Amino acid sequence: MRIEIERVAKRFGPVNANDDVSLTIQAGAVHGLLGENGAGKSTLLRILGGLLRPDAGRLRFDGRPVALDSPADALAAGVGVLHQEPLDFPPLTVLESFLVARPRAARAGGGARALLPGRGRAAGVFLPRRAAREELLALAARFGFSVDPDEQVARLTLGERQQLELLRLLSLGARALLLDEPTTGISGAQQEALFSALRRLKQDGKAIVLVSHKLSDVEALCDRVTVLRQGKVAGEAEMPAGAARLVALMFGKALALPERLPTAGDGVALALEDVGFGDHRLDLRLARLAVRRGEVIGLAGLEGSGQRLLLRACAGLLRVRRGRVAIGGADLTGRPYPAFLRAGAGYLPADRRREGLIAGLSIEEHVALRAPRPGVFLRPREIRRAAERAIEALRIHGRPETPVEALSGGNQQRAQLALLPGDLALLLLEQPTRGLDIASARWVWEQLLARCRAGTALLFASSELDELMRYSDRILVFSGGRVSPPVSVADLTLDRLGRMIGGELDEPAPAPAEPAAPARSDP
Amino acid sequence: MTLCDIPAHDDRVIPRPPKSPAASAVPRPSSVLAVALSLLAGACQSSSTSSSPPAEKTAAPGAAASASAPTAPPAAAYKVGMVLVGPYNDKGWNQAHYDGIRSVLAGMPQVSFEYVDKVNPADRPNVKGSQVADDLISRGAKLVVYNSDDYKDDALETARKHPQVTVLHVSGDYAWKEGKNHKPQPNLGNLMGRIETAQHIAGCAAALGTETGKIGYLGPLVNDETRRLVTAAYLGARYCWETYEKKKPEQLTFKVTWIGFWFNIPGVTLDPTKVADDFYSSGFDVLMTGLDTPEAALQAKKASGAGKRVKYVHYDHKAGCDLAPEICLGVAYYNWAPLYRSAIEKARAGKYTSEFVWEGPDFRDLNGEASVVGFLPGAALGERKAQLGAFVLSLANGLDLFKGPLKFQDGTDFLKDGETATPQQIWYLPQLVRGITGPSK
Amino acid sequence: MSPEPADRPGSSAPRSPGVRRAWAAWPGEVASRLAPLALALAFVAGLCALLGASPAAVAAALWDGAFGSADQAARVLATLAPLLLCGSGLLFTFRAGLYHLGVEGQLVLGALCATGAARALWPGLPAGLVVALCVAAGALGGVLWGALTGALHTRGRVSEIFAGLGMNFVAQGVVLYLVFGPWKRPGVASMAGTEPLDSALWLSTLGGTELSPAALLLAALALVGTAVVLGRTHFGLRLRAVGLSPEAARVLGVPAAREMLAAFAISGALAGVAGALQVLGTFHRLLPNVSSHLGFLALLVVMLAGRRAALVAPIALFFSALNVGSLKLPMTLGLESSLSGVLQGVLVLLALLSPWKARVGRGGGRPEEA
Repeated sequence: MRIEIERVAKRFGPVNANDDVSLTIQAGAVHGLLGENGAGKSTLLRILGGLLRPDAGRLRFDGRPVALDSPADALAAGVGVLHQEPLDFPPLTVLESFLVARPRAARAGGGARALLPGRGRAAGVFLPRRAAREELLALAARFGFSVDPDEQVARLTLGERQQLELLRLLSLGARALLLDEPTTGISGAQQEALFSALRRLKQDGKAIVLVSHKLSDVEALCDRVTVLRQGKVAGEAEMPAGAARLVALMFGKALALPERLPTAGDGVALALEDVGFGDHRLDLRLARLAVRRGEVIGLAGLEGSGQRLLLRACAGLLRVRRGRVAIGGADLTGRPYPAFLRAGAGYLPADRRREGLIAGLSIEEHVALRAPRPGVFLRPREIRRAAERAIEALRIHGRPETPVEALSGGNQQRAQLALLPGDLALLLLEQPTRGLDIASARWVWEQLLARCRAGTALLFASSELDELMRYSDRILVFSGGRVSPPVSVADLTLDRLGRMIGGELDEPAPAPAEPAAPARSDP
Repeated sequence: MTLCDIPAHDDRVIPRPPKSPAASAVPRPSSVLAVALSLLAGACQSSSTSSSPPAEKTAAPGAAASASAPTAPPAAAYKVGMVLVGPYNDKGWNQAHYDGIRSVLAGMPQVSFEYVDKVNPADRPNVKGSQVADDLISRGAKLVVYNSDDYKDDALETARKHPQVTVLHVSGDYAWKEGKNHKPQPNLGNLMGRIETAQHIAGCAAALGTETGKIGYLGPLVNDETRRLVTAAYLGARYCWETYEKKKPEQLTFKVTWIGFWFNIPGVTLDPTKVADDFYSSGFDVLMTGLDTPEAALQAKKASGAGKRVKYVHYDHKAGCDLAPEICLGVAYYNWAPLYRSAIEKARAGKYTSEFVWEGPDFRDLNGEASVVGFLPGAALGERKAQLGAFVLSLANGLDLFKGPLKFQDGTDFLKDGETATPQQIWYLPQLVRGITGPSK
Repeated sequence: MSPEPADRPGSSAPRSPGVRRAWAAWPGEVASRLAPLALALAFVAGLCALLGASPAAVAAALWDGAFGSADQAARVLATLAPLLLCGSGLLFTFRAGLYHLGVEGQLVLGALCATGAARALWPGLPAGLVVALCVAAGALGGVLWGALTGALHTRGRVSEIFAGLGMNFVAQGVVLYLVFGPWKRPGVASMAGTEPLDSALWLSTLGGTELSPAALLLAALALVGTAVVLGRTHFGLRLRAVGLSPEAARVLGVPAAREMLAAFAISGALAGVAGALQVLGTFHRLLPNVSSHLGFLALLVVMLAGRRAALVAPIALFFSALNVGSLKLPMTLGLESSLSGVLQGVLVLLALLSPWKARVGRGGGRPEEA
């Protein structure tokens, strides 16, 4: 299917989210949509997916003008959107999720020819489970996805949910697929499977739109790239175009990598001794970890391998099953979360909108919530000044009264950072730069490293190997229900890190002895 | 009607227990709706208990001169208001009052009438009897009737607040100079029928009807009034058991089970249906009742249908034997018309003074218009009806069953040999008498 | 689907969709509140017509019943007091994202404790002191009940709805036991309740009416206090945070469980005071139906008010007028007074289902943009 976007405009109040955007997406090609946060990518995607109506301009699918009033309309017209967070149903099984969101149009036979071989009205009432199961398995086999129809969606990884959603859209007859940051938060293997599936779909003649910040994704997959900047088309390029050119299109300037200077100092910020932690499916053990002030520890591994559990255990949000946790020399084992907060632990969860910030409250209200010594009454002027200071210091694009859910991802991360107390002993971060464009990510790291220089120890989980390698002093690898001892980055290569994540934790023979050395060397 | 049916419950209307909030116990998203729904449902429920359509009221004036139109005709210079504790058509206590006053007013075309029924905290939350009376008075009522013991404080309050209005309180004792709770208030009077006599007859009918010698009594809650009613029934039963059956009192079992209230409140009271079944299945072949509701009759009918030889004695609803005529031994009931007629006439003439009226039957015609209490024998008596007739005759001739020697359940003397009870001793009966099985408190 | 954050800089327009709405927000807001009212009225009018009464006559009767005389107007205001108190309490729990159905039980327990205090302290102490202590005891009883409900919810992980309903049953059970058992009137055990309190303990009323100015004043103070606490204090903000996102609030260092408990306790205190006032000012005794379902009515008021303190007062007044005025229906029109209950029910249902209604999000202090 060929998609033509003609002079589309969309305003949100005074902001031109899309301003006179025209571009053509060819069938049988992968079209990249690049741009930094707030450039208008998501708005364009939502217009194509029927979630937003443009204020001006029009869309043509295969030359025919279309008006999309809802995602169902879009799907009926052949456009399927794969959102960053798939719109599925965690309590259902994979098969049910595959079946349940079946729009009526598809049920009537339009898209789902395979599912409903005209079994009359009953087919409209009862779920055609058997047919659906066969179709699901066949589709999955075709793309090399491994799918268990009876698994609970809630237990799937993001990558698996994404695969399921992709299969669902295909079974509904999608001829164009729009993918929003599809490689965020999925494993390398899943990314490989996704890419090969997309290449295959391209050969089938589908039009594919890939929205991404990641140049590597775009370079690996796209035939053509459109770069948006501030709602406008900044430029188009046939691939391969070279990273430098794309970065220049996105930011209008070339970026220099920051120099990473060692920040680790003296003194133990965090000491874990023989800790056991876990949840209903994982039970992890970590023999010993001593993190020095200013040190940066990366937590590597496929998402959901226990990195989050360790961070939450260190933050005091998860009780360790055994062993001792000490922050800045104070034993906090079994103490409540506020004790950890007082000891100087700070935690930034990955899901900023649900766990890190409170949707519905403004920036200044967050500032007030975090006030170190709140009185009884709110002092609006003081709070506003504090919020303005934080906004200024962290260059948040927003005003004190802006609700946090209206901030873009990068600004939410800045807001989270702004809310942290100044003198932390230990900062724990999940995916600190997820969803951020390159400039924002770099800026965030500058802030983090500044804290390290001031003595804050840092633990962060990331699924970006680059990020892990670049910023960590030592790395813990989580894989297959186990945690590796900390490995110095100096002893690692990207390749070896990749293999460790893949399960070869024990490869380096001297590894178990290694963690002792830095810990012992502390005075 | 789409929202809620308003079924026409013709046979029996049961005052509603307090609505339980349990209806709204549903999962979160819908719970708020459920609250609203339960409120709605509650509204529907109670509207089903008293379908008093305006037609019924507007049809009445021709006969009863009831001016229910907002503007009373100028001729209706006198207005009577009534506060009923239950539904006006409950085939029991409340209907007896409603029918009684209606029949009186049918003969007084210049007197208009207004009533509010179901004035109890369960049916009309946030409404007190005295408020209703205030409203009735503000609409012109010159005489207000409260028909339940529960209103004693309301009645006094109304009488004090509106000295120019006559307040009649049924079954209270504040106006009884010789009583324990006398509260002098010139415009407050008490009315009561001396149902004890009819209960003697009812007890006698039960004794004549039983084959096993085991009589059960479905008691409501325990108070002075119910103690004296149960005792009166027992005394009648024992007398006839000895006199006509020629058996020893020890061979008669007379057991009362109190359910805890005037009608079934699920979860609060004993379930009268179960209690009645227990009686019938444990050898009690005659069941008397003091409840507002007809479980005794209904379960008797069921047991009888299943082949058991059981009978029942009804209470307070003159047509109670119609529920199961062939196994009904009779019904003791009130006829309030004479008491109301006399009070209204006095009040209209401006001659009402506080009085305590506790009037017995008119033996000239026990079931006639002038008798305040009556007993209507049932078909199940068969030829024993003659013996019952003889008993009634002895009562008419002055037989007093509240006469010594009588002992209380705890063995203390109630009445010494030859002593007869004073009205106060009967009204404030502190215990059941010996011979009755079942608690006194 | 939760609203996605717009992928754009927020500097110039913190909330673009909101700006477009800004000019329309005020009439839209009013329309969203009035539409269900109009629909409910139409529905009930239809129902009246079906029952053979003219809707206008019903309306006139209701009006006359509520404001026809000083006596009745006073009664409307007297009923307003417990509604406002319970409503204020519910504002706290709603703000914390809790559907607190236990307010009814708290009111009942407040009434119970106030009665108990009166029985224990009178006539040993001066009347004024006893009354004050009764109110305090009522508040304490409500706090106890609220804290227990809260503990069931926060510690026992019982849904606050079931916890509240369960506690309602227990409270009701205890009152029934006392009224029919140890506290029954000598010789009588009746739904009509315990022996009345000595009239020295009755709250003084205005003229010959049933309005106790003290009760109404207390209720008004409670509402104003609630508005101040929720809008102007750190505690109010923390409650809002907990209501919007307990998990995130916890991460940000707000002790979510403690704040929820506090909300339960405060709502308990206010409902308990309402219960004490029912005993001291209205019924002058404890009776099984002492709550008169005013707790649930307050729940409807607060839901209809969209959890806004400023709207609670007028809506509570409206419901109170309906409640009191409905007594006229059987008197003048021979209609069931529960028709006003139908009206209330329909009103709330439509308000909740209304497509115009700004979404009633859990604990939403601010109506979310659709």
